Amino acid sequence: MSELALIIEDDEDLASIFAEALRGVGFEVEIIADGQAAQERLQNGIVPFLILLDMHLPHISGADLLTNIIKKEDQFSKTIVIITTADARMGEAYNEEVDFVMIKPISFVQLRDLTSRLKPKG
Amino acid sequence: MNSLNRFLTISTTDADDIRRRRILNILVMSIVALSLLAIVISLVSVYFKAIAWENVDLIVIGSLTTILGMLLVYSINTRFSGRIAAVIFLVFLTIVFAFSDTPQQVSGGRSLFGFAIPIIMASILLVPWSSFVFSSISGIIVSVLALSVNSVPNSPAIIGFFVIALVSWLSSRSLEQALKELRTINANLDHVVIERTKALAESLERERIEAGRSQAILNSIADGVVVFDTSWNAILANPALTGMLDLPLELIVDKNFRDLIEHPKLSPRSRTLLRAMMEYDTQPPSFRIEWDQKTLSISAAQVYDYTKDRFANIGTVTVFRDFTREAEVEKLKSTFVAIVSHELRTPLNAILGYAEMFKEAVYGPMNDKQINMSERIMKNTQRLLGLINDLLDQAQMEAGKLTIQMAPVRPAELLENLHSILDQSAHDKNLKLTSEIDDSLPEVLNGDAARLHQILLNLVSNSIKFTEHGIVHVRLFSPYRNRWGIEVSDSGSGIPESEIPYIFDTFRQVEGTTTRVHGGFGLGLSIVKQLVHLMDGDINVKSKTDVGSMFTITLPLVIPEENIEKWRIG
Repeated sequence: MSELALIIEDDEDLASIFAEALRGVGFEVEIIADGQAAQERLQNGIVPFLILLDMHLPHISGADLLTNIIKKEDQFSKTIVIITTADARMGEAYNEEVDFVMIKPISFVQLRDLTSRLKPKG
Repeated sequence: MNSLNRFLTISTTDADDIRRRRILNILVMSIVALSLLAIVISLVSVYFKAIAWENVDLIVIGSLTTILGMLLVYSINTRFSGRIAAVIFLVFLTIVFAFSDTPQQVSGGRSLFGFAIPIIMASILLVPWSSFVFSSISGIIVSVLALSVNSVPNSPAIIGFFVIALVSWLSSRSLEQALKELRTINANLDHVVIERTKALAESLERERIEAGRSQAILNSIADGVVVFDTSWNAILANPALTGMLDLPLELIVDKNFRDLIEHPKLSPRSRTLLRAMMEYDTQPPSFRIEWDQKTLSISAAQVYDYTKDRFANIGTVTVFRDFTREAEVEKLKSTFVAIVSHELRTPLNAILGYAEMFKEAVYGPMNDKQINMSERIMKNTQRLLGLINDLLDQAQMEAGKLTIQMAPVRPAELLENLHSILDQSAHDKNLKLTSEIDDSLPEVLNGDAARLHQILLNLVSNSIKFTEHGIVHVRLFSPYRNRWGIEVSDSGSGIPESEIPYIFDTFRQVEGTTTRVHGGFGLGLSIVKQLVHLMDGDINVKSKTDVGSMFTITLPLVIPEENIEKWRIG
């Protein structure tokens, strides 16, 4: 069974590009476009192998999701977290808290190459 | 005393005349008083039978006659003429003395001295030289009396009269001259006082007009103006300020600025700013505060006055300007910039992503032309993103929102990032992009990594853009102990000398045509310069047409605390 990658991104096109890159590497992909929905999904017991989290989301911001759930709950301790933001300053601010920070614009190839290195072999 | 004074004084305009007639009155009154005293003493003596009436009848009758004569002199003196009164008085006195004793005694004996009195008085009561007239009269009387008793006229006495006349003439004359001079001085003094008073009144009036004009100007200024003394007491304010703050003038003028700062309408941040303005002599040229719903711009300047040979600080003049509308526009602008930044970048990111997917043949094989086309889409999208970033940076810098955040930075990492991004562009143009780090530079230093990266990226991509063959070289170094620098040199087309002063201007490229050849807004170098200045650094350029250009940036070198020891040992 392939690992689950959760993409939390409100822009449909970006989400589909990211999904294509991750699927290309061999992840099973789930896309959530809304902060509120993402919070419910994460609280429902889903534990993804990797989360690609946009910091600017409707209803509940990515920053809140990160601080209040992902970094708080034990079950996500092994989950790889990549945040995406257009704000380089914000990226720097969260550099220590997450595994990777990607500053928009995010390249398809860059994301694909990074995640392929992260995915366990086999 | 006043009534006595009135009794003695004669109202006329000639000061000398007044003086003389006054003296005459005093003499007349004294004689009247003496005569009254003589009558009283005589009558009392007779009453107590100490003396017989026959012995004093002449004294009483003489005294009464004297009193009547004196009253006549007094009335002539006060009502008619001082001179005539004085002449009558003196003649009377002379006659009295002439018949006051036996002719022998008067002409050469004990009563001779009596004549000196009218002689001296004449110079005082009439004109000074009249003493000679009375000395002559006295001389004649004495001679006549002497002859009448068959005696020789007393020539030493007559000479003595003239000597007395001479002395009293001299003293009266000098007294009158002194008085005259005194009067002239007084008159001059009066004149000077009048002139001075007039000048003072004029200058006061001028000042009043001037002050009125200044107040009128102050009142019609649209900006709020308040002037504080050195203890920050408001000494004056204009109506515009009261309108701006919505406070009556009484709550501003004569109040201390500290009271105004505590007003609840002022935001806490503004309070801090205003306190800083009061506490430190050096203020920013202008800053903004929030008062109620308003944004006010404040500029303060010290007032200096040149007094006692030096400039003294006499207070602070503070100008308030209503900045509410401008502040709203600025806020709108920054919101707009934030939205645009997100809304423009997101679709561009999508275009970039899809183009990459084509290039990577995600949905099946692509031919060379298709791959080339996706590459062109990607390149143009990157360019568009770059332009948007430049515009946003420029907008942020104009709004003063762009700040520098210092953190430990590895120079080597800066170069690695640069190579990873620009190696391809250099390679595409057949250029060599090389770099080096001098031994003089520490491994870690304090800096804003993102902004340093941006500076390098801008300078190096600029060099690549304007270089057709050869190399682009980057060198990081430390010229002095507390500075470090970035040097970017190329073998490109160079910059004409006449254009060098303008290359850091906003929206500018060398010569009008190059914009079309090379594209771009011409914002890159302007942003670099502004960033360098934000970092307290300097930027210089050396260039020679067709040989190349070299940009040199120097920045303050600060080594992070935790690396200092290591750096010293190293």
